[in-house]
Amino acid sequence: MQYLALIYGEEGRWAALSQEEREREMGEYMALSQADVTKGGNELDSTATATTVRVRGDETLVTDGPFAELKESIGGYYIFECDSIEDACTWAAKIPAARHGAIEVRPVHVEEGEQS
Amino acid sequence: MKYAALLTSNADDIVAWEKMSPEETAAIRAEEVPKWEALFGELRQTGVLGAGFELDSPKTAKTVRVRGGETLVTDGPFAETKEQIGGLLELDAEDLDAAIAIAARIPVALRASVELRPVIEH
Repeated sequence: MQYLALIYGEEGRWAALSQEEREREMGEYMALSQADVTKGGNELDSTATATTVRVRGDETLVTDGPFAELKESIGGYYIFECDSIEDACTWAAKIPAARHGAIEVRPVHVEEGEQS
Repeated sequence: MKYAALLTSNADDIVAWEKMSPEETAAIRAEEVPKWEALFGELRQTGVLGAGFELDSPKTAKTVRVRGGETLVTDGPFAETKEQIGGLLELDAEDLDAAIAIAARIPVALRASVELRPVIEH
């Protein structure tokens, strides 16, 4: 089974970290990126660069910013291949942002009859 | 430019969906799937579409926090927003305008929204 781990954190936090703290966290992220369970993932640019698209009637409405304004916003994600959501949560807990923000773990949908 | 497209659904629609019978949801899927496949087929051919993930309902989510060395797992999504994330697509579009044009063709854009976020390439 695949699980999407959405990484939520405060955007200003990174800038406030010392060089040493940044290097340590970056090392943790790199190690997770290379773990066998990790099948994908990306770091996202800040919410200031987000664009939200909606279509109503024939009109395309484009707004700057994320679809929802939250104190902690999505800064990236991993795709984990795990046997259960509990295992995926164990991996999510290793993400540095779990210690100050939160990780939302979501099962990737598998249609009945399809192979995972 | 690489983008992650966060696909959302209206929370009200998700509640309605969960109340439907398997026959009703299958009928809606049967109507929607060809639209998605037509778009995906075209995007794959042009190399624009990378990985894509449809997610189970937000109520199947777990939210993980670690505080003071302890792992705290709660049921449900991180935030109860009016629109909720239901999928993610990785796009490799020429520029933001091209990504917006694609986002506007994703069926969820008609009901809820598609958030485009540039990917930081390491």
